[in-house]
Amino acid sequence: MRRILTSHKAIQRLYDAVAYVIIAGLLVFVLGPLMWMGLTSLKREQDVVTADLQYIPLHPTLENYVTLWNRSGVTTMFRNSAVTTGLTVSFCLLAGTFAAYSISRYRFRGRGGLLTFYLLVRMFPVVLMLLPLYIMLRSIGLIDSLFGLALTYTTFLLPTSLLMLKGFFDAVPPDLEDAARIDGSTRIGALFRVVLPLARSGIAATGVLIAVSAWNEFLFALMLTTSESSRTWPVVLQLMVGEFQLPWGLLAAGGMISILPIIVFFSFAQRALVRGLLVGAVKG
Amino acid sequence: MAQDTRASAPPPKAKTPFSWRQPLALIGALSETRYWAYLLLLPSLLLVSAVIIYPVLSGINLSFNQFNLLRIAQGMNFIGLQHYIELFEDPDFQIILKNTATWVIFGALSQFTLGLIAALALHRKNLKGGAIARVLMLLPWVIPSVVAGHMWALLLDSRLGVINDILVRLGVLSAYRAWFADPATAMPAVLLVDLWRGFPFFTLLLYAGLSSVPEELYEAAEVDGANPLQKFRAITIPMITPVVVAAIILRVISLMNSPDLMIVLTNGGPGLATYTLSLYAFQIAYDNFNFGAAAAVSVIMLVILMVFTVIYLRVSGVTKD
Repeated sequence: MRRILTSHKAIQRLYDAVAYVIIAGLLVFVLGPLMWMGLTSLKREQDVVTADLQYIPLHPTLENYVTLWNRSGVTTMFRNSAVTTGLTVSFCLLAGTFAAYSISRYRFRGRGGLLTFYLLVRMFPVVLMLLPLYIMLRSIGLIDSLFGLALTYTTFLLPTSLLMLKGFFDAVPPDLEDAARIDGSTRIGALFRVVLPLARSGIAATGVLIAVSAWNEFLFALMLTTSESSRTWPVVLQLMVGEFQLPWGLLAAGGMISILPIIVFFSFAQRALVRGLLVGAVKG
Repeated sequence: MAQDTRASAPPPKAKTPFSWRQPLALIGALSETRYWAYLLLLPSLLLVSAVIIYPVLSGINLSFNQFNLLRIAQGMNFIGLQHYIELFEDPDFQIILKNTATWVIFGALSQFTLGLIAALALHRKNLKGGAIARVLMLLPWVIPSVVAGHMWALLLDSRLGVINDILVRLGVLSAYRAWFADPATAMPAVLLVDLWRGFPFFTLLLYAGLSSVPEELYEAAEVDGANPLQKFRAITIPMITPVVVAAIILRVISLMNSPDLMIVLTNGGPGLATYTLSLYAFQIAYDNFNFGAAAAVSVIMLVILMVFTVIYLRVSGVTKD
């Protein structure tokens, strides 16, 4: 018996070792490229474009960051991205919370159909609706506007956020609401005073997911904005390529700047985000 | 409309605590009626209908019409299925369809496999640094595709690429290679970039799926003398199947629909080597301004996705609620 136990333990230790090796390998794969981008952003241009590859920058400098930040319009575009992201998150959470609560709590006719419909909406190819959307937004004066862009993002992210939020609301026991209603609260009162506070970490996670997606979005931003005053950050990064002969140092610095807010956001809500995505995906 | 609804609704059951604040009290009363469920859905439905349904329907309509932005004076002319017929007669389109199949199938499978391996490794208990590894592993998934594209373009560059340098130093390669310019390696190279970007999504969902399997099941199986492989097959796989199915569907949709990486990395080249349907539709629309044909390509993509989803849901036996 004792021998079986020790061999069992040995096997467990072997598995642990295998797991460590796999995780270490994957972390190299995941972080290596990011580190290389970070190192490149600290190199002078002539140290990037050189026959002798420098693994560690020989002349580390923040020149790329300074140049990038001082280029006309760059701060505006950074702000554009922030505003669009903020608007998208507010719209999505507002409309999404109401709809998700309704789907979570009520059994009405067409409920199953509605869920299928939202899954279907995710499938529509972007290109299919770009032109009609462009024409429509132009006719109501929302082309080349951050509001129009946020509105577009909202509709694409709404189905995902709705399914995630529904999962979180499902997890709040209806009994608590009933208790509040017996105490004289209306349904909407119970929603705001009981359900939302209990689901707040889930709502935060949904918000982070929306923020990350909106911040990163590229195709719509490229097509639905035309002037510098409403270009967003990913578009700027792409357009820089056309302007110069591949300014690697600047691109790397731009990449580093654009992932910093995401990493900050993400580290805040990582745990709830994971749970929320699972709930959204499985129940979707 | 809200007025009418309230008038025909039964009177509120309970006196609201807000009665001294008129508008809030009205909403409170409204929330007690049986129309409340629908009213809550209204804002999101209106948004989605306005910004998605109308454009999609008019896009589908566009695919049956001749419409070129450069010849806008000619307007829209109904031409029936002509765009579709021309597409299927075009030999290039066959190649693009094949590329799309390669891209989606290899993309989804490689990302799923690596994601599952990562999730299984991370799921082992009592690993030191497990929590931080889980967070770090997700980073590629949250950074913009444009950034990921440029970063890998530099890593795999034919003159400055560090990957070439490492491979030459290790003796794997005798000289630097232009990964994205060689028809034989262009598609695998883009797939590698998307593997980097996409596998964390599977890790995230599969890890969460593994965590939701009740521990008692494994303990019971252990009492019955099941070995790890048997436990994996009898418990883990059936328990995480719904997550797997959902994750694969979501990933296939985004592989099919987003041309981001190709736009940044190869623009479809060399030749047609990395042309996929989404990039093709995008280029017909925005380089040739032939919106009718682009809409036809998009409709084909939509049909493929819908057929795939229906068949996959049937085959996997996952029923939705």
